Amino acid sequence: MIEIDSITKTYGPTKAVDAVSMTVETGTITVIVGTSGSGKTTLLRMINRLEEPTSGEVRINGESTLSVKPHILRRRIGYAIQGHGLFPHHTVARNIGAVPQLLNWPKDKISARVDQLLELFSMDPAEFRDRYPAELSGGQQQRVGVARALASRPDLLLMDEPFGALDPIIRTRAQEDLRHIQQRLGSTIMLVTHDMEEAIRLGDRVAVMDGGKLVQYASPAEIIARPATDFVADMVGDVERPLRLLSLIPLSDIVEEGPAEGAPLSADASLREALSACLWSGRSAVPIERDGTPLGRVTFEAIRARAEMQA
Amino acid sequence: MKSTGAAISAPGLLFAVAGVAALLTPFMTLAANRIVAGEGVLAWNIAGPAAVTPGLIAVLGGLGLGLLQRPASLRLGGAVLGLGGLLWLLTQGASCLLAETGEYARVSPAVGFWVLLVVLMLLMADALTAMAPKPLMRGAILVAVLGALAIILGSGALSDLSVMQEYAGRSDAFAREAVRHLGLAFGSLAAAVVIGFPLGVVAHCRAALRSATLPVLSFLQTIPSLAMFGLMIPILGWVGATVPGARALGIAGIGFAPAFTALVLYSLLPVVGNTVAGLAAAPPAALEAARGMGMTPGQRLLRVELPLGLPIILTGLRIVLVQNIGLAVIAGLIGGGGFGTFVFQGLNQTATDLILLGALPTVVLALTAAIVMDILVDLTRRLPEDAT
Repeated sequence: MIEIDSITKTYGPTKAVDAVSMTVETGTITVIVGTSGSGKTTLLRMINRLEEPTSGEVRINGESTLSVKPHILRRRIGYAIQGHGLFPHHTVARNIGAVPQLLNWPKDKISARVDQLLELFSMDPAEFRDRYPAELSGGQQQRVGVARALASRPDLLLMDEPFGALDPIIRTRAQEDLRHIQQRLGSTIMLVTHDMEEAIRLGDRVAVMDGGKLVQYASPAEIIARPATDFVADMVGDVERPLRLLSLIPLSDIVEEGPAEGAPLSADASLREALSACLWSGRSAVPIERDGTPLGRVTFEAIRARAEMQA
Repeated sequence: MKSTGAAISAPGLLFAVAGVAALLTPFMTLAANRIVAGEGVLAWNIAGPAAVTPGLIAVLGGLGLGLLQRPASLRLGGAVLGLGGLLWLLTQGASCLLAETGEYARVSPAVGFWVLLVVLMLLMADALTAMAPKPLMRGAILVAVLGALAIILGSGALSDLSVMQEYAGRSDAFAREAVRHLGLAFGSLAAAVVIGFPLGVVAHCRAALRSATLPVLSFLQTIPSLAMFGLMIPILGWVGATVPGARALGIAGIGFAPAFTALVLYSLLPVVGNTVAGLAAAPPAALEAARGMGMTPGQRLLRVELPLGLPIILTGLRIVLVQNIGLAVIAGLIGGGGFGTFVFQGLNQTATDLILLGALPTVVLALTAAIVMDILVDLTRRLPEDAT
């Protein structure tokens, strides 16, 4: 559990982060979202003490981060940044093994861990271990950057706009991969983004920052349905709100008996995808299946009814 | 660039025109003694037709091969062939011209020879650039060229030339001054690294020191070299006279110490400046990641900044080495020794070939140092894994 206790950072007269308190549960993804200058990155960087808080403190599993030297603290916290920050003169293996090496793990343990992580990120160790970052695609570089941050099995993984440098298609893929890996490893992740779409897609909890203050800290559904301030409503976007809400609900929630024409959708897909399929193909219902077995259908009417219920 | 029809190398054409023009100027000079001005002799007059023709054919053939756009290896072959022809003409001409004259006569290469030498070496450099050999291959080529040069000089084929006669009378002094010259150039480089590298590292970490140091070093660099060597005389003379024990260490107004000090002062800007620039060359995101993963400042310096900056730092050392090999000539003026000794003796005696005895080895040394350092810089770029 990460407890952030009325943490404040001032630069001269301006308060970059103003008495923010929040608690992050172990094994969840918390997304901090805000516009530039909202203090979201400063908040993140105070957790591993890349910025020293002016006042307040952070506790990781009950222990204050101020009780250890900053560089020792940082070796226990994974850190992934926009543009990956890989060392251009080190191989993929050496990049991923950087923190274990700082922690003086034995060599064979490091190389076993490197291979394990490469496999986890669907990169063949034999092929990629000895490559240099410049020999990788943007998506591969990003995955190596995240693998490096996870290498020492940190208590917490901090990510600062980790997908910011990726193009939209690869970004969606990378977000899905992160979700899967987080679920498999049970990692605790705090991620900063300016993209509300990304926050809703990835976050178990979303923290909205504005002018250094934490204005709302809630589940994605709560943020969409009941934005605490006009600013949060703006971030969510009025026009987008119903669609964003639908994107959070799986089809399995409203699947019903009955026939439907056309290509089936997976039960794990969201209502938003079903709505899109209905509109695009002019159908009033789409068939639903799970692992190839037909489950029934979802109708256009049912989607509409569900959306009204939420609003 | 693909030129389908005319496969003529543009620089090759320039080299051929310049080379043929050079053949129309005196190839060698013949003088009654080592001091008077000589008389120019055209290439085809330096010896009988049987001796001259093969050399002329080789030179013209080499220039002709240099015209070909590709393969570059043919152009390289042309350069080697041309240089061989040049050497042939030189040896034939030297013995033949001297055979008909008096005891004190001197024969030297003239403008035609020098221009052809430069043109053929440029052709060789152009071909090698196009072939882009790997660093180790470049090292092998350098060793082969230097080896060939040593064999030619050692064989005595050129001993009739005036500059070699100047050498013959001074071989002991030449060896001594060569060691002195290397000592000045490499010693001042080593001293500049010992002082400048730590200074550069500290300046990298402290912006205030950086902005104070670099302008001072830039200013030192602007002092004309003759003035710098001259300035060292009163300063080190005073040190030698007043500081106890300094004289025993050989510190005096003239000699090795002031020359060495001046060279070190000139070396500091490239060493410090390139160290600062090299350390600043690491990508900001990589440094941020290094900090974020828990590297201490020392670990960041050793594992990230230094290996990534090494090519730039070595480039600074290359500048210093080549610069100091050249500047060390001026040390001869204040009794510092080195090849400059011959240059200034030659200037005083108006003996051009004695000047050459000092200047030619300096040029060869500087070129060799530049090529070796370039190879090292390339190796650190290509094998970044070995850099740490």
